[in-house]
Amino acid sequence: MIMDLIEKHPILEFKHGKKVKFTFDGNEMEGYEGEPIAAALHANGVRIYRVTPVKEQTRGFFCAIGKCSSCFMVVDGVPNVRTCVTPLKTGMRVETQRGKGVIAMDAE
Amino acid sequence: MSWKRTADVVVIGAGVQGCSIAYNLAKMGVKDIVVLEKGTICSGSTGRCGAGIRAQWGTEMNCRFGLAAVGKFEQLHEELGMDCGLNQSGYLMVAYKDSEFEQLQKSMKLQNSLGINTRVVTYDEAKEICPGLAAEDAVGFTFHDRDGHADPFLTTFAYMEAGKRLGVKFLRFTEATDVKTVAGRVAGIVSSRGDIDAPVVVNAAGGYSQFISKMAGVEIPNFSERHEILITEPVEPGVCPPMLMSFSGNYYIQQRPHGSIIGGCSPEGHPQDYELGNSWDFLEMMSRTFVRLLPRTKGVRVVRQWSGLYNMTPDRQPVLCEADNVKGFFLSCGYSGHGFMFGPISGELLAQLILGQEPWIPIGMLHYSRFERGELLIEPAVV
Repeated sequence: MIMDLIEKHPILEFKHGKKVKFTFDGNEMEGYEGEPIAAALHANGVRIYRVTPVKEQTRGFFCAIGKCSSCFMVVDGVPNVRTCVTPLKTGMRVETQRGKGVIAMDAE
Repeated sequence: MSWKRTADVVVIGAGVQGCSIAYNLAKMGVKDIVVLEKGTICSGSTGRCGAGIRAQWGTEMNCRFGLAAVGKFEQLHEELGMDCGLNQSGYLMVAYKDSEFEQLQKSMKLQNSLGINTRVVTYDEAKEICPGLAAEDAVGFTFHDRDGHADPFLTTFAYMEAGKRLGVKFLRFTEATDVKTVAGRVAGIVSSRGDIDAPVVVNAAGGYSQFISKMAGVEIPNFSERHEILITEPVEPGVCPPMLMSFSGNYYIQQRPHGSIIGGCSPEGHPQDYELGNSWDFLEMMSRTFVRLLPRTKGVRVVRQWSGLYNMTPDRQPVLCEADNVKGFFLSCGYSGHGFMFGPISGELLAQLILGQEPWIPIGMLHYSRFERGELLIEPAVV
């Protein structure tokens, strides 16, 4: 696993949660539970999170505070998830979002 | 630009009504038309509306207007040279009470007799028209496939641009502050930027039209009500293809072509304070309606909510006429929430009336004198 995460911070102290497995577009990856999904993907070298609806341009991490819509992905079948502010859980199915996001018929 | 002191026609209000009237007058040959707008083009009720277009009405007048307007919208992009965002995926009316369904069927008979092919559909058919619809508690549905929605901004801008090409002048940020009359005739207007003398003045001021009427000395019992509406983030189309509408359910919901879903309802308390704010109550109530009716929209985010004014009349039908006591002062107001969809037809009919022609759909019964006479033709089909 490529680890592109900050290990030491000049003023903040932090501890990682436990390591969990999740999938990105079907590939199994590891990340720390409770950290943003987008951070876990970044640590795994993933830079493209979605493809825009009209011009089909790639988008990734941008504002990182849940405001800009750049990191929208499909998580466990739900589209438009802001992965930069959504905590990672074990077994999550994370997928690149193409287009506007299809809301499933069987959503309860 | 130097101030224009005279005009043949001054139109007050640059919503769909004002722009359509100005365009139609110019198309019929009037050369010197000025449209005054106190804000920006389409900044009033037109730009705030739910964008629906329908022929499913409960009075003969509204049915005729609705059908003619649908026909206009179908060829508007050709006539005006601009796409108006027309989306004809029908109106699906949902009745939750037997009496309501009876009324829908009664209206359907009237519509059918006027050439509007509304039909009753079963719940299964309704779910084909609107996949994911949850309305087990509904007692019946009617559907008309030529109904739908269009883009209020594009439509109004299309009228404005076409009008400009024919020489119409549009003055933004110019508020009419008085209407001048001389010996029972209109003589012009006073505005925040100067006076304009004109033999014809048209009141198309939407939610503020009653103030303009009073300036001319015309008293009509129309009034404005604040209605709220919201829009979601875009999701793939197909979530709500038709306009879903229910009178007892108190909602209208449609998905814009780019994927955002718009929904609104009639407000509690019918506020008449001219405040254009938003409320938590509406956000919560409308969100519940969305999820109850279209369960898969749960979790879809609301990105914006706003409000606008319905200019109501006692019978929820428009006022489209010349004033009795002030010749040359014409009114196009009181659309009671349906001014956008009627814009293409009412603009043409009023232009005919102004030019002394016989409007091709008779509009005599839309004179405000009906309120004094008590001859109200109450429209039952309003959310």
